[in-house]
Amino acid sequence: MSAREDILGRVRAALKGTVAIGAPGSPEVAAPTDLDSHAARVDAFRTRLAAAEGHLEVVADEAQAAAVLSEVVSQARAKRIAVSDAPLVAKLTRGLEGVELVDAADRAGLLAAEAGISCVQHAVAETGTLVLETHSERNRLVSLLPPLHVALLHADAILATLGDALAAVDPGGAGSASRAVTFISGPSRTADIELKLVVGVHGPRELTVLLIDPRTRENAP
Amino acid sequence: MRVSLFVSCLVDQLWPAAGAATVAVLRKAGCAVEFDPRQTCCGQPAWNTGYTKDARALLKRTVALLEESDAEAVVVPSGSCTAMLRHAPTALGGEGSWSERAAAVAGRTHELSGFLVDVLGVEDLGARLERRVSWHDACHGLRELGLREQPRRLLKNVSGCELVEAPGCEECCGFGGTFSAKHPELSVAMSDEKIEAIEATGVDAVVSSDAGCLMQLRGRLEARGSSIEALHIAEVLASGRGA
Amino acid sequence: MTHLHPERFGENARAALGDEVLRGALRKATGLFGRQRGAAVAEMPEWEALRERARAVKAEALASLDVQLERFEERATANGIQVRWARDATEACEQVKAIAERLGRPTIVKSKSMATEEIRLNEHLEQAGHRPVETDLGEWIIQLAGETPSHIIAPAIHKTKRQVGELFAEKLGIPRSEDERELTRAARRALRHSFATAELGITGANFAIAETGSILLIENEGNIRLATSMPRVLVALVGIEKVIPRLCDLQVFLRLLPRSGTGQRLTSYQSLISGPRAGSGDEGPEEMIVILLDNGRSSVLADNSLRESLACIRCGACLNACPVYRQIGGHAYGSVYAGPIGSVITPGLQGLEKTAELPFASSLCGACREVCPVKIDLPALLTRLRADVVEGRAPGQGQRPRRPRRIEKAAFAFWRWLASDPVRWTLSMRVARLAQRAGLDRLLPPARAWRKGRALRPFAPRSFRERWKEDDRRGR
Repeated sequence: MSAREDILGRVRAALKGTVAIGAPGSPEVAAPTDLDSHAARVDAFRTRLAAAEGHLEVVADEAQAAAVLSEVVSQARAKRIAVSDAPLVAKLTRGLEGVELVDAADRAGLLAAEAGISCVQHAVAETGTLVLETHSERNRLVSLLPPLHVALLHADAILATLGDALAAVDPGGAGSASRAVTFISGPSRTADIELKLVVGVHGPRELTVLLIDPRTRENAP
Repeated sequence: MRVSLFVSCLVDQLWPAAGAATVAVLRKAGCAVEFDPRQTCCGQPAWNTGYTKDARALLKRTVALLEESDAEAVVVPSGSCTAMLRHAPTALGGEGSWSERAAAVAGRTHELSGFLVDVLGVEDLGARLERRVSWHDACHGLRELGLREQPRRLLKNVSGCELVEAPGCEECCGFGGTFSAKHPELSVAMSDEKIEAIEATGVDAVVSSDAGCLMQLRGRLEARGSSIEALHIAEVLASGRGA
Repeated sequence: MTHLHPERFGENARAALGDEVLRGALRKATGLFGRQRGAAVAEMPEWEALRERARAVKAEALASLDVQLERFEERATANGIQVRWARDATEACEQVKAIAERLGRPTIVKSKSMATEEIRLNEHLEQAGHRPVETDLGEWIIQLAGETPSHIIAPAIHKTKRQVGELFAEKLGIPRSEDERELTRAARRALRHSFATAELGITGANFAIAETGSILLIENEGNIRLATSMPRVLVALVGIEKVIPRLCDLQVFLRLLPRSGTGQRLTSYQSLISGPRAGSGDEGPEEMIVILLDNGRSSVLADNSLRESLACIRCGACLNACPVYRQIGGHAYGSVYAGPIGSVITPGLQGLEKTAELPFASSLCGACREVCPVKIDLPALLTRLRADVVEGRAPGQGQRPRRPRRIEKAAFAFWRWLASDPVRWTLSMRVARLAQRAGLDRLLPPARAWRKGRALRPFAPRSFRERWKEDDRRGR
């Protein structure tokens, strides 16, 4: 008998007489309920991202985003910058001066890059989390290998809860589904040596989110 | 209210003053107390060590004895014995009508402090004791019976008595029944952590409602040369009235 | 690698009690995790409902495990994942070895996984000449030192900065340092090299999702992201109990698990991996294999009461809450799974032949049950396993306990006989009191054990029942 048949047979025998019933209650239990408005979501996202030690820069449009991006990159003294293949990333990095852009497929280049720039497909206000799907860009290593990850986020992509994010993602292995969906809350961290928190152990030491929110302009004085 | 006292082995043999104090406190609270001297052990040590058959035999005996009395409540000056009796319907599951009989007994069985506060609604027994004390939450009382506020309220109403919370008051004292003899060094190490926290509060006594914990804590305090007393809550509640 | 001896729990525990460095580290770690957990839970008013939901989802998954596994296999296969099944540790190790062999002498990067520890995958691969590299910082430190993890989420808490500095100086040839940032940077550099050249990545999984054929991995460091993104081939070893029905169920576990483990609202990273790369334009492994591991789990499933232990999500909260674990750490248990849950899981998976001491490694204080995010009734399961030991039964299809406990059995039978009759009982207590006064109790091993560091409370001169009788005679 194959291991598969054997194991499934043993499981079925073990469950003889057991009635399977659906779990009562809702998967939404303990989900925050006060994040209905756009402003509340942005606000919660901002607070939780800060708690997770991520930086946030709010800009009103792509032009401002390009300017701030240039500042962030130069402050980090990043000369080699890994970029995902998203059109927005290409657009915003076009104007960067004095830097070398590294293609997401160039592994050696990625390993040597000082910053990585990707888009964010969704974000979660509940936890200050960025959600990266692979169906729309090559973002896995760009967001992971360089010591600084700059993430471009449209305010409309901020969802209220983890449940909303799980409903929005499209994980799978066929067609246009995402082979990998990555949830990111702050920089890479460890406390494995004497419980002392150290950031940047395997992944980025710094996470900067460029939040593109046109409503900031409307609200501006 | 008429209550039947289930005194527990440890109180009976090692802490009889706590038994007498329990009777005094119950009477002060307006209860008529009966005690059936045929009672022995509820079986808890056997149950917790895995000797379920021995435990069930003693549990049945105890249930049969307690159901003979028509007292409205069974009061036990021990959280762990109370927890065993409350668990009896499950422990005696699959033994015919025993589970139901045990449930009837379990339904009117209470630990002393829980009985006073939750059933009788009594929080001030007019006791007086000039001491600074710390409350030790016995595991079974706290986690199986939900006794947290009840004993504290009773102690706060003892005049002259100051209740000082020790950090880690909800931690196990290291007794654990037969655990204390199977792993003595481990058991003592657990006590030490607790005792150091109690000592740091500068109290004169640690109070609990489980004779097992009191035996463990006092045994270790004595070995460490500490003057901190271990008192049963009944002793505190009965004090200062010449009882 | 250190050999594991659960049968020597008592000895191991005494040794651990003598290790002040270890105990200091344990106090710090378990205290910190415990406090952080408390704070994280306190801000969740619906914590109880969340636990109930998680418990219910796990119960549903386990009660329909065959259906869930088949669904997972079907969806995962459709996603391009190769799904394999392994009855036991040997089969699972052989499968991984065969994959490694097919790749020649690949650089192997591993992420922390309890299942791979359970089947001793590293030993197996090393015997075949492979060099799997652990990439979680704590696990890597332990691997370099040739030790085993002492805590489920902080494997190297028993090592000081100085010890890690000395270890790195010796193994990596770097200048000695006691700065955790510098040590972490050194680890990053060394492990980056392994990742850059890795052809085979080996991980576990926190959850397998039947609905989508995906696995979910939870971490803080990013090494799991690297191990699942960089190597050409990815192997995930997944216990069959890890499967949950729906993707939306994840939100429940994501709210519970990090808070329970480290007190974080969410860990830095969760990776939901659903298949190998889409084509040459995509990232990720070219090949992805999921090995579904039984290794005793189906036997635990067959046991109506032990079944709930399969709901464990490996958060480590019960370890941090356990007053026994906090004194001695994980090594004393002589098992990959330590603490209260380990003392249930290990006998469940292996039987009681070597693990009979573990169910007794607890004072049954119940602190574990209070913090368990899926509400496993650990004291009840420990008590149940104690009964198995006493009665010479084997849980599931594991092995029976070896030693019959004749003396203890006789003692409890005697106790029962005494307690079954009030006259016998009263008399025996008087005899015991006299014997104690004559110092004869020193002959009894339990009394001797008790006196180790404690004064034994003497029998009172008059018992309560004697007082009561006298009061009765005097007419109160």
